[in-house]
This record gives sequence, structure tokens and C-alpha cells, in this order.
Amino acid sequence: MEYKDYYQTLGVAKTASEEEIKKAYRKLVRKYHPDVSKEADAQKKTQEINEAYGVLGDAEKRAAYDDLGRGQQYRAGQEFRPPPDWGRGFGGNGGGGGFGGGGGPMDSDFFADLFANLGGGRRRQQAPRRGEDSHASITIELGDSYHGATRTVSLMVAERDAQDRIVTRERNLSVNIPKGVTPGQQLRLAGQGQPGAAGPGDLYLEIQFRPNPRYRLDGRDVYQTVPVAPWELALGGEIEVTTPSGKVNVTVPAGSQSGRKLRLRGRGIPGKEAGDLYLLLEVVLPPANSERARDLYQTMARELAFNPRAGG
Amino acid sequence: MGQAIVTAVLVDEAALTLEELAQACAVEPDWVVQHVRTGVLLQDAPAHISGWRFSSADLVRARRLCQVERTFDANDDVAALVVDLSEEISRLRGKLSAAGVR
Repeated sequence: MEYKDYYQTLGVAKTASEEEIKKAYRKLVRKYHPDVSKEADAQKKTQEINEAYGVLGDAEKRAAYDDLGRGQQYRAGQEFRPPPDWGRGFGGNGGGGGFGGGGGPMDSDFFADLFANLGGGRRRQQAPRRGEDSHASITIELGDSYHGATRTVSLMVAERDAQDRIVTRERNLSVNIPKGVTPGQQLRLAGQGQPGAAGPGDLYLEIQFRPNPRYRLDGRDVYQTVPVAPWELALGGEIEVTTPSGKVNVTVPAGSQSGRKLRLRGRGIPGKEAGDLYLLLEVVLPPANSERARDLYQTMARELAFNPRAGG
Repeated sequence: MGQAIVTAVLVDEAALTLEELAQACAVEPDWVVQHVRTGVLLQDAPAHISGWRFSSADLVRARRLCQVERTFDANDDVAALVVDLSEEISRLRGKLSAAGVR
């Protein structure tokens, strides 16, 4: 695990006041917010800034973070070795999701999340209450949504023990992914949040889909580009296509042009109102890399008298 | 291996109550009530609080509102405007992505 210097990330001194930290964060988050920034690495920067502020912006987490570096003088990028009494392994529960950058996915760097459980609540704690709810995200494949799945997430949680020392504990959770989930939806895992006097809080997992260049999504509708040969478009016929729900045979109407969209009703993401699957036909030309292929192209050029620019 | 499966419930199938949303956002229920009353959260909310139910989208929106209010010391209206714009950008980006435009 790589040590991260959160003070360096925010460009503040270790002695910076709460107000100075907040001011530095606001300035940086405006500069790098991915919706407005032209910087190439805006998304990554925003995540780093959010992560740093998630720890330094909370007095208790900041104190725990400062405890970490004390005596070791870690520098940013240096391999971080947790003290022996920290137990095995690390990880966390995804923090609170920063402004503009989203929460850290479960399978990302867990460093900041070590402190996730140590933060003070913002509510007034009058009577014994449930522990705080935790938030994280889970990345799944599109196919998981089509069929439902069980996925394991690793949570390593930092807590204070009876001697007020920071200790960690690893938690692996096997989570059922219900069929038909869409990106941004929240799964609630009752009692898997932070401990509390009146029982643990809940864990919320935000669904994210792993990017797949073959598919694009719009709500429950799925768009898939399908490469086709010129004769399949011109002559039409049945082609086999591997879709997220499996292989299907699709009829291409004769005389189709590249870019034609075929709708397969109800074959998008399942649900009470299932989405549709749109197949975008995209012509791929056979290469003219042999004598025979060149002959065939020349025959077409000679005999078809086809000018695609004839219309202007 | 041999690990028990934790049952995850989709928030949209078992929508959150006012208290549950407040707990999930680490705010007092009054904060939620105020934001529903001003129309920032849960548009077309039933008149009676006991009928309020919150979806995944409401939870994400409420957490974003909290974040903006806390981090930027923004008032309700400014925070709502920021979150509205942010949601609109996400929606348009989704449309672009669906159209194959990067």
C-alpha cells in the first residue's frame, strides 16, 4: 500500500487550521471538477482531492491519520507498512463520496477508507443510537444485471479498541446482485454499517457497471454495435449476434445501410419494464489484400456503376 | 468459501422512510423535512410525512445536497441549483455516451 500525503494533496501545511483545509479543498475542487475542468487528469485529481479532504476535513479522522505518520515520517508514494498491531490487511467502506468525483469504488485504493469508521457523526448524539450508515460502490458486469449474481466485496474496517488504539479487521461480504439493477441504483445491506450502541447501521452500495466498449446504456436500453459484411447488409439474411443475454439470430433486412438500427424489444436490462436492445449495424469491408480480393472489388467497380456521391 | 450471502435489497424496491433517509445521510430528520417542504427533495411528495418514500435517486441527491451544503457552506437554494446542474450534466453525458459520442 502506498502512503499518501493528504496535506501535500491539498497543498496545506500539517499545522493548517480547519478553515485553511476547507478553503484549499474548495479551491482545488473547483479547479479540477470534471464537469468544468479542462485538465486531462481532472477525474483522478478530483478523486484524490476528495479522498484527502474526506480525511483531513474530519477532526477525528485527521487525528487518526496524523497518528499514522508519527514517528515514521512517511513521504508520499513511499510504501506504507502498517504497524504490527494493526492486524492483517486493510480496506474500508468507501467513504462518503466526494463532490463531483463520486465515492471510491470497492476495488480501488482503500487507504482513505481506513479512517471511514472513525469519523464523528454530524448529528447530535443524545440517546444511544444505531451506528452510522456506510456508503460505497460496487462494480459489476452488464451480464450480472441480466442474470443476477453473487459478488464478494472486501471491507477492511478501522476501529478503536478498548485502549483507544486503531485496529483493523477484514470483512468479506458475499452480496447478491438482484437481476435488473441499473447504474446508480443503491443496494441496502441491513446491519452491515458501522457499529453503534443501539445496533449497527446499514451499508449502502451504489451499483456501477464496468465499462465495456461493446455496449452503451441509456436507462434500461442497451446499444450494441454489430460489425457486418457488406453483402450481409446488401442481401439481407440471418446473422448470429452475441448479446448480453446470449446468442440470438437476427434478420438483417436486404438493402440495409451501415448505421441501421435494429430494435430487439425487451432484450435490454430486465425489469418490470424491460429495456430494449438496439443493434447498430456497422459495415466492415473485407481487406483488398490479395489478388482475388482486388479482382472482386474491381469487378464490382466496373459492373455496379455505383457512385456513393451521386446525390451531391 | 462457504461464506454466507448477505441479502442486499434494492432501495427502489423497498424505498426508504424519512428516518431511514436521514440516517443514511447522517442528518436529522428535520433536514429532510425541510428539503422536501421546499421542493428540493421528493417532488410531488404526499401531504402526510408518513407517506414519504425515497428512492435510490433521492438518496444520491440528498447526499449530494448535504455534501455541497457542508463543504461550501451553501444555503439550500444554492446547493439545490448546484445539484440540479450536476444531475443535468450527468444526464446529458449519459445521452452522449449512449449515442457513442465520447
